[in-house]
Amino acid sequence: MCRTSGMTNTVMRDNFAAVDSRLIVPILETTGLKVTYGSFTAADDISISVGEGEIYGLLGPNGAGKTSIIRALTTIIPIASGSATIAGHPLTDAAAVRASIGVLPESNGYPSAQTGRSYLRFYGQLFGLSREAADLRAERLLHQLGLGKNHSRISTFSRGMRQRLGLARALINDPAVLFLDEPTLGLDPAGKEDIMAHLTKTAVESGTSVILCSHLLDEVERVCDRIAIMDRGRIVAEGTVEEVVATSGAAGTARVRIAPEDIGRADAALRSSFPDATIGFDNTRPGELDVPLTTGKGARSELLRCLLAAGVDVLALDLRGVRLSDAFLGLTDATAPQRVRKESS
Amino acid sequence: MTTAIRPLPRSARRSNWMVITKQELVDLWLSSKGLSVLFGFTSLLAILAYLASADAGINLLDARESVGVVVQTAIGLGTLSALVVSADAISGERERGTLEALLVTPVARLDIVAGKLLAATTMWLAALLVALPFVAVMADGPGVAFDAVAVLVVAGTLVAAALTALGLAVSSLAMSNRVSLAASIALLLLLATPSQLPAVKANGALGPLLIQANPVSAGLQLATNVLVKQEAWADQWAYLISPIVAAVGLTAIAIALSSRLELGGSR
Repeated sequence: MCRTSGMTNTVMRDNFAAVDSRLIVPILETTGLKVTYGSFTAADDISISVGEGEIYGLLGPNGAGKTSIIRALTTIIPIASGSATIAGHPLTDAAAVRASIGVLPESNGYPSAQTGRSYLRFYGQLFGLSREAADLRAERLLHQLGLGKNHSRISTFSRGMRQRLGLARALINDPAVLFLDEPTLGLDPAGKEDIMAHLTKTAVESGTSVILCSHLLDEVERVCDRIAIMDRGRIVAEGTVEEVVATSGAAGTARVRIAPEDIGRADAALRSSFPDATIGFDNTRPGELDVPLTTGKGARSELLRCLLAAGVDVLALDLRGVRLSDAFLGLTDATAPQRVRKESS
Repeated sequence: MTTAIRPLPRSARRSNWMVITKQELVDLWLSSKGLSVLFGFTSLLAILAYLASADAGINLLDARESVGVVVQTAIGLGTLSALVVSADAISGERERGTLEALLVTPVARLDIVAGKLLAATTMWLAALLVALPFVAVMADGPGVAFDAVAVLVVAGTLVAAALTALGLAVSSLAMSNRVSLAASIALLLLLATPSQLPAVKANGALGPLLIQANPVSAGLQLATNVLVKQEAWADQWAYLISPIVAAVGLTAIAIALSSRLELGGSR
C-alpha cells in the first residue's frame, strides 16, 4: 500500500494496519456484471471485490467502460446480467444501495444560487437526516474540506472548491462505498493533492471504501490499495499496483552503480546473461550503467545474482521506468499498434 | 467470504417530496428564474391593462371586452409561465449536470417529480396573485368582478395544472432544456392549430367542438363567453371538461413517467 496524504505518517501507518484487517470483509462484490446500451456492450464479465476501507482504482482508456460500471453500481443504469451487492444490498434493492453509497460524478453540476451549506443540508435531508442533523453534518464536512468559512454562493466557488463541495456532498450520508469518477479533472496540482488527501483520510478514518476512476495514473499509483485496468469493457489486469505492473510485461530500466574498475567485468557478465539488452553507460558518471529489464519480482534479483556471480560489487541498484503508466499502456488497446510493430520487427 | 452488511437507516426510507418541493421553491424564487418570469408577466399584464383601460375612454372596446382581454391574457401568459418553469425542471438539471447527484440519493423518483411539479405550480399561483388585483379593479366597473375572478381562478388553475404537468412530462424525457421547451410549446400549438383555422371557426358545429377539445382555447373561450357574452355558468360546463381532463391526465402521465426517470442516453 502506498498512500500519501496531508496526515502524518504515524497516523497513516497505524490506520493502515486497521485497514488491512478490514480487507477480509468485502463491502462491494460484483459477479459477471454486464452493462449494455442497446446492442453495444459497454462492460462485460466484471467481477471485483472491494474490502471495507479499501481504495480501489478503476483505470482504462476512454470508452473502456469505467463510467458505465460506476453508473451501473450506483443504480443509474440497469445491468444486463450478472449480480452485485453493495454493503450487503443487491443492486435490485436500489433504495438501499443508494442509501449506502456516495457518488461524485465526472461532470457534476452545482446549483450556483445556493450556498455550500444549503446544498449539503438539502442532500443530508434527502438521506433522511433532520434539518438540524443535516446542518451539523454539513458544517462538519465543510470544515473538514476547508470550506467552513465560506458562506458565499456556489457561483463564486473556484473549480477546486466545487470539487471539494462535491466530495462533501458524496460523504453527507457517511457512505459505505464512495464512487469518484475523475474527481481531480481540471484541478491544479494543489487541488488534486487536496482531493486525494481528503479521500485517503476518509477511507482510513471512517472505513469508507473508495472506487476511484481516474486517468491520472500517478495519483492512482499513490493512493490506491488495488487497481483494475479495463480495456474494451473488460478487466484486463487486477491487483495491487506492484502486481499489475509485474504481470504487465512492461519494460523498465535498472540503474546500477558499481566501482568504475568493475565496468568491464559487469559488461561481459550482463551481455552473457541478457544478450538482447542494450546496456547503456553514462559517460558523465563513471560506474553507472542502465540495464533494460522486464518487470517482475525476479528481474531485479536476477540482475543482482548475475553481477555478484561475476564478482562485481554492486554499490546501488534502482529500478526505474517501471511505472503504472507503462503497465497501463502495455495492457490497454492504446499500445496495440506498438505490439504489432514489435512483433513485425 | 461474507459481505459486510450496513443496515439501511430507517429515516432514509421516508417520503422526501416535501424536501424536494422546498428546495425547488428556494431555487425558483430566490434565484433570478422565477422572479424574472414573474416580472415579465407583470409588465406585460400591466401594459395590456393600461391600454385596455385607456381604450375604454375612446369606446373602441367595451368595458366587458377589456376585462375579457385582460383575463385571457392573464390565463395565457400565466399558464405559459408555469409551462416554461416546469419544462426546465428536469431537463434543466440534466443539462446542468445536477440530476445524477439527485438520482443516486434514496429518494423515490415519484418524490422528485411530485416535488418539482408542486414547485412549478407556484409559478401560476404567483401569476394569479399578481393578476387578481388587475382583474378585480378592471371588472368592478362593468360589475363582473366575481365572474372575472372566478374564471381566472377556475379556468386558469385548471389550464395551469395541465400545462405544468405537460412541461414536466416532456422535461423528464428531453435531453436539454431547449428541446423540452420547444417540444412543450410545439405540442400546445399543435393542439391549438385546428381551432385557429378560419374555416373551422366559421363552422358552427365543428368550431366550438375543437375549441372545447383544446384545454387552453377552452379556458380562453370560457372567459369570453362568461365575461363578454354574459352567458350563464351553467351553460359553459363543456368548456371545463378538456381543462379538467388535461389537468388530471397530464398529471397522471407525468407521474407515470417518473418511474422511467433516467439520467439520459449519454455514456
